[in-house]
Amino acid sequence: MISFEPTEDQKAMVESVAGFARSTLRPRIREFEKERGLSEAVRKTAHELGLGLVALPESVGGAGLGMMTAVLLEEEVSWGEPSAGFAFGGPGAFGLAVLELGTTEQANAALASFTTDGGHTRFGAVAWGEPKANRERPGFSTTATKTDAGWKLDGTKAYIVNADRAERFVVFAQVDAAAGWRGLGAFLVDRSASGLSILSRETTLGLDAVSFGGIALAGVVVPESARLLGGADGSQFDAALVRFFARHAVIVAARGVGLARAAFDATREYVDGRRAFGKPIGHFQSVAFTIADRAMDVDAGRGLVWRAAAAWDAYDAGDKNARDEKECLLRSAHAIAFVHEAAMRCGDDGVQLHGGAGFMRDYPVEKLMRDAKQIGLCGMTAEHADQLAGAIALGAPVDPGLVLPTPETQNAFV
Amino acid sequence: MTIEFSLSKKQLEMREGIRGLAKNVIRPQALAWDRAGGIPEEFLRNMARLATSMGSNAMRSGLGDETDEEKKDAEKRRGPSGSNLFGVLASEELAWGDGGLLLCLPGPGLGGPPVRGSGTPEQKKRFFGMFEDLDGAPLKWGAYGLTEPNAGSDVSAIRTSCRKDGRHWVLNGRKCYITNGARAVWTVIFATIDPALGRAGHRAFVVEKGTPGFSVGRIEDKMGLRASETAELVLEDCRVSEDNLLGGDEKYITKEGFMTAMKTFDNTRPLVAAMACGIGRGAYEYACDFVKDNYVLGRPIPRYSAIVERLAKVGRSLEAARSLTWRAAWMADNGLANAKEASMSKAMAGQAAIKACIEAIEICGAEGSIARDHQLLEKWFRDIKVYDIFEGTGAIQRIVISKRLISDLKSF
Repeated sequence: MISFEPTEDQKAMVESVAGFARSTLRPRIREFEKERGLSEAVRKTAHELGLGLVALPESVGGAGLGMMTAVLLEEEVSWGEPSAGFAFGGPGAFGLAVLELGTTEQANAALASFTTDGGHTRFGAVAWGEPKANRERPGFSTTATKTDAGWKLDGTKAYIVNADRAERFVVFAQVDAAAGWRGLGAFLVDRSASGLSILSRETTLGLDAVSFGGIALAGVVVPESARLLGGADGSQFDAALVRFFARHAVIVAARGVGLARAAFDATREYVDGRRAFGKPIGHFQSVAFTIADRAMDVDAGRGLVWRAAAAWDAYDAGDKNARDEKECLLRSAHAIAFVHEAAMRCGDDGVQLHGGAGFMRDYPVEKLMRDAKQIGLCGMTAEHADQLAGAIALGAPVDPGLVLPTPETQNAFV
Repeated sequence: MTIEFSLSKKQLEMREGIRGLAKNVIRPQALAWDRAGGIPEEFLRNMARLATSMGSNAMRSGLGDETDEEKKDAEKRRGPSGSNLFGVLASEELAWGDGGLLLCLPGPGLGGPPVRGSGTPEQKKRFFGMFEDLDGAPLKWGAYGLTEPNAGSDVSAIRTSCRKDGRHWVLNGRKCYITNGARAVWTVIFATIDPALGRAGHRAFVVEKGTPGFSVGRIEDKMGLRASETAELVLEDCRVSEDNLLGGDEKYITKEGFMTAMKTFDNTRPLVAAMACGIGRGAYEYACDFVKDNYVLGRPIPRYSAIVERLAKVGRSLEAARSLTWRAAWMADNGLANAKEASMSKAMAGQAAIKACIEAIEICGAEGSIARDHQLLEKWFRDIKVYDIFEGTGAIQRIVISKRLISDLKSF
């Protein structure tokens, strides 16, 4: 049946997380921005609320509440502070990557430390992007070489969310140099591994409380058991890889909806109060119609994110057949691309309708506009999501080099 | 409840049924109907029978609407009514087959909602009773006459006058762009007792075909939806019995008369949005198929990825519009006020579908503009434009939406 009403449990959770966003996050967005992070106390509260483990299955110590509950809560958190979902701590993208790409044993082992008390003090990260495209061949420049001890990793990874905070990484490297973007491997690497160094944190356009950075790998050796082969039987690495990107980017899209709504709410309030030519500026059609258009953006974006989340929950509950998988990827791609663009429109029009005031840091919209562009570069970009949706709609092979953000095309923060 | 988007067994069966019909029966004739400017009555009769057997109000009347009593009955039986969702799902599929056909289906059409909403029990019995017998009797249509040559979006500016004369009302004026206006057995005509009173002066009448002084003016020659009849209606000292004043005198003590006329749209706008999605989806699928046949897949040549991106944007815009449409219909089914959401669905769907048709023609190139029996892009391009115009233009939808978002916004 088609229904747009959350369960009673979901409503209760949304209400409590919305309260947290309103009272704890929103009043402190400038403080988080200045400190370039969330305080320990805020992260602890988020962890106590269970945020960050919502979508992880119970089998690995998660809450097992599914993607739908996750996107509902992510939207609320992001409404309060768009950086927060990335900066709370916990496994984050790392958790989703390990779940899609690893065996149950690997996932259990990798995620154990995040689900215990003090989990908020621990971060995971995914080392995907690279500073430069490889000019010699398709694929990553970072290589994984087979040794007697396991695998040796060499190279530099970039555009990593929480690189300097993570205690554990999933590192992507070229395993088969001749196979291009179909020759990648994924490896679990501890921060403490010999030869791994954390590169300096970047200063970015937006999402100031999120740490974006890189790592360098110089002869880092990991055992064979650290390699994630792509699910239980390891035969479908590329498919698992695309699933990870799509699923993670849907979570990012849910944050985009929260961001868009925050910009919309602030702007609607402003046009009610600001007067010009003897009346509130919202009473001029060009202003009011823009408000109407952005309201449609927020609502349609949320609808697409919900459809994607529902598809993932159905996939997870079913026999994981190829048809359901395509449905997930297509719905996700629609949501990701639409929300990235919609959030940017909401941020842009938010500043525009505030006029000069919008450019000032007294108002939140300039931050939300910067955050909107930044969040559009997280997970998957709209361009890659469109390539993914197009490939599925046209029945073309889902080529990781084409549908995922790579140094060859357009890097994204993962 | 939970948030979900899967269709029920009944909805799936209905959708599959209409899909098959649209593909195998409707589409092959769509261009011929477009050129002939109409659809054979026998075909319409069969469609109407089929619609009745499927239990879909949306198909029976062209536009779905349930009486409050029907809604209450349905709620007792099986929880919230599903008729609006059923209607949008059916409308999308039918419009995918042919947008014009939907508007041609016999039944009260757009005239139905105001009679249901405002009519007295006797009026409902009288005017809906005419539609009960499908077999044998000639096909019948109802119509809705609001727009005038000088009053379109600004409904309060209508000048068609009405004056009480004994037990009759005398109507004078012209109504235009009336769907099925020439063949309608009755038309709901909006008139004013005094233009200075604005909306408070409006009265709605059910004017029957053949009433002296009530005649058909020109039949419009349109860009698209040419199978659907669009007529001008002329009222010259047209004497209408006081029994035909919709709702009777007491209905007009308050502004409720006008508001009822407008409420019509809360239920019909998601249906129009769904029709737009259906036509847009047709164009999108056509372009996808064309690209598959004419381009080498799987190669990241720049031209290819650019086309893919354009198609993906069309696909996701339609999907975004569909999510708003389903939401508006779901809200109506659950008895929630949905004026804002209904307008959102129509505003977004109209534009998304127009864009879909424009992009599809561009992607297919010269061939896309050529009309053939199985190549309907140029027809859809002509048909779709009006979906951002009728039932309230895109600008009107934004007025409806923004009034519900911005404080104290009475009018612009």
